[in-house]
Amino acid sequence: MERRHVPSLSALTPVHVGLHRLQKRVAILIGILGDWAAFIGAVLILGLGTSWYMIDVGTRLTTEQHGPWVGWTSAGRADADPYTRAHFARLGTLQLTTEIALTYLAYTDSDGNRLHSSCDYNVEGREPGNHWWSLTVFNDRGDLIANAAQRHAYTSESIALRPDGTFAVTLAREASPGNWLPTGGAGRLALMFTTFDSVTPMLGKSEAQPKQLPVIRRVQCR
Amino acid sequence: MRIADTLKHANWQLILAAPVAAGILHICATLAAPYLTAASAYSRLAPGLPVNSMQLLTVSAPGAEPLPFMSPDARYAMCRFDTSGGPVTVSSTLPPDLGWSLTVVTPQGDNIYATASVPSRPTPVSIVLVPSEEAFLGVTPEARGIARDVQPPTAVSATRGIVVVRGPDKGFSYQRHVEAVLKDARCTARSF
Repeated sequence: MERRHVPSLSALTPVHVGLHRLQKRVAILIGILGDWAAFIGAVLILGLGTSWYMIDVGTRLTTEQHGPWVGWTSAGRADADPYTRAHFARLGTLQLTTEIALTYLAYTDSDGNRLHSSCDYNVEGREPGNHWWSLTVFNDRGDLIANAAQRHAYTSESIALRPDGTFAVTLAREASPGNWLPTGGAGRLALMFTTFDSVTPMLGKSEAQPKQLPVIRRVQCR
Repeated sequence: MRIADTLKHANWQLILAAPVAAGILHICATLAAPYLTAASAYSRLAPGLPVNSMQLLTVSAPGAEPLPFMSPDARYAMCRFDTSGGPVTVSSTLPPDLGWSLTVVTPQGDNIYATASVPSRPTPVSIVLVPSEEAFLGVTPEARGIARDVQPPTAVSATRGIVVVRGPDKGFSYQRHVEAVLKDARCTARSF
């Protein structure tokens, strides 16, 4: 049978006792520092993470989503919520108040795939009543895409409509018949749809008539 | 046994304080965000705009966009105003058409005044930008016993900001008309 060697009390020198106490204190200190590190980490992740999400992505409290289109309901308003203010301050855009116009941005197609210039898309929709509207293509940083045709947007006045009042716009690198918006080699794309209603407040109107924003379908990718 | 031991030794004060501290940080970060950005629309536009004078902007083009997501679907005339030296008068007549607007935007991006055109008639706009709504702008014609033959301008309280007149791009044929309306917009400083 193996016997463990236990030092007798007389064998514990003051050096051993001191080291033991120091070891215990260091362990307590590490425990306290660990608690505080976890606390600070949790506070930073929770506080800054939720703030970033609310400002960058938005929620139903601040945005209106129709398929891939996202519009901030208080954009440009003097009584806008802090998230909307921060969102557009970070984006660096000059927003029209939602009392006269609503702007929607789409970074994905209607199936949720990221818009990219390596793919061709078909954007189909119907004229939103007797309003002025426009559809513009940008890269995902909000820059216009250089192209020989110098074409970046269609408006309610420049688009070719079908006889039934609907329209179709092709987003593609190569020229396409009909309404074509060149995407060049821009990489990730963003589409902006602006509706301008000077008669009825846009937010009041949204409750009465469900909005029908254009559908973005991917045709093919290279 | 281990979980119970961990819960027993957990620092509950810190665990309960974490969501409260995170909430405070969330509020502070959200409120501070507009002031921490170095590239707000006002800070990008202001250096290129003369003070208290309306300027017609060139058409937004690739590589020369004044702002991100600024569509070439419209032409713009802008006036960077500063009312610290006196009120600023703004006037324009929006044509009877869709898509025209005149807005007064603060450096924080709020539209403190916005009006849009209607297709049925021209929309005359006349506003006076004052540093404070209590500012004395002189004795009104009515107070002097004189009948006013024009509608008094709307007073809007603002110290700094940008007046934006937006005209929809209707193609090459209408380019001169749109530019003429934008050039007619006035932004003039007055003394107290």
